[in-house]
Amino acid sequence: MRQNDRTARRPAVALALAASLAALLAAAGARAADAPKLRIVQTNSAGDNVSIIDPATNTVVGEIKDIEVNHGAAAAPDGSRLYISNEAEHTLDIVEARTLRVVRRVPLSGRPNNVSISHDGRRVYVAIAQAPGAVDVIDTASETRVKSIPIDGAGHNTYVTPDGRFVVAGSVAGKSLTVIDQKTEEPVWSMRFDAGVRPIAFERNADGSTRRMFVQLSDFHGFAVVDFAARKEVARVTLPDVPGAARSLNVQGSPSHGIGIAPDGRTLWATSKWYHFVAAYSMPDLKLLGIVPVGHHPDWLTFSPDSRRVYVACAGSNVVSVVDVAGLKEVAKIPVGQVPKRNITAMLLQP
Amino acid sequence: MPVLAILLVCGVLWPDPRMRPPHSARDAPGRARAAGLQAARPAAPGPPPVLDYDFFKQRVQPIFLAKRPGRARCYVCHRGGGGTNYLQLLSPGASTWDEEQSRRNFEAVRRLVVPGSPEKSRLLLHPLAEEAGGDEFHGGGRQWTSRDDAEWQTLAAWVRGETLK
Repeated sequence: MRQNDRTARRPAVALALAASLAALLAAAGARAADAPKLRIVQTNSAGDNVSIIDPATNTVVGEIKDIEVNHGAAAAPDGSRLYISNEAEHTLDIVEARTLRVVRRVPLSGRPNNVSISHDGRRVYVAIAQAPGAVDVIDTASETRVKSIPIDGAGHNTYVTPDGRFVVAGSVAGKSLTVIDQKTEEPVWSMRFDAGVRPIAFERNADGSTRRMFVQLSDFHGFAVVDFAARKEVARVTLPDVPGAARSLNVQGSPSHGIGIAPDGRTLWATSKWYHFVAAYSMPDLKLLGIVPVGHHPDWLTFSPDSRRVYVACAGSNVVSVVDVAGLKEVAKIPVGQVPKRNITAMLLQP
Repeated sequence: MPVLAILLVCGVLWPDPRMRPPHSARDAPGRARAAGLQAARPAAPGPPPVLDYDFFKQRVQPIFLAKRPGRARCYVCHRGGGGTNYLQLLSPGASTWDEEQSRRNFEAVRRLVVPGSPEKSRLLLHPLAEEAGGDEFHGGGRQWTSRDDAEWQTLAAWVRGETLK
């Protein structure tokens, strides 16, 4: 009997061993397959999907579905999750990067616009675009809204400064920006402008702290320059006109919407919705290097980590224009969804 | 002047097509021709048609709630009842508007059309693809790529004064 038992058990043991081995191999394979991959995350503001772009091939390689009127995107530092603001449901949607599925919708205090994330990934900051205006604070561990920070007017965009010390929220209706201490989550200072505050870019000092902010404003074809330490506007830069070209008529009150500084800190880029171009400026002296025609209504931009490419969301053409920084020319157009606006560069854990 | 017009139409004065003014900044008749529409022969002047409320309620309103693949619903961006929020908020749990809300929607949306003239009505041109003769840009995207779209035709019928009978 005992012999028979042993004989009978052999196939079972072999099967168990094989299964264990297969599981180990699968796990190892999954770990390799789920290594962080560079992606451009492109929201589609008049769609119900978010496009995931592989910058190596400049093609859409994934899609997040079922987020109607998605606005802003932020990625967890470990690449495991994306956070997308949902204007239809007034939620912050948490998306698993590996499957690109929405795993939770966190209720917000009102209709959201853009989002940002703390450097440690523990907090997501959501601009609430309804009066009286707020920045909703989402705790990513508990996946709940833990606080709403009042700001001066309905919120449009939120940012975390490059050193991670401050959250900055701009308001179109309030014509203001509010600077919030990231640790205490309390406003520490604010600043008013003569027009609504649109996108903002941040220049850093050698120690990482914020040196200047470049602030796009409603009805202004350019950007304001703000000394962060002095808390005052020190200059305005107007984007060039294009002689002989008519201005686009419908720019949603924002002829220049979309600004950023390349990761190497050497160039600043700003969009023109009037003329459908992106303008490049040298840093820190802000000399115009040139303009690059792109798709219609360029609304936002992000960079490749090596600063060689700019990905420009062209809301009027439903494409992302890829611009070569050195050559100052468009090298690709990537079809995406309806009215693409906000985009980010992220390392995502993907198969 | 005619020579200048020909040069403009042919794009000679804008060698880079991306730097040309958008269609909506150019002549509307040209756009209509580009969309394959013939300029209508001038009709005998007459009173504009009356916009029918029942047709609006039963045929037009559902379009604002309809989900099109890859696109946001009209309702999501235009709800709230002010500014560009032409549509009333649905009551909690409701899947359509009640009578009072429908009447308000009718009054708000009728301001976006020119009775008798779909081709002059913002409601029909703004969400229509530019290639089909629509506006250059709509923040809500291109809801219809052709005037042959059944929804577009329904809206046009309402603007032309059609009724349910």
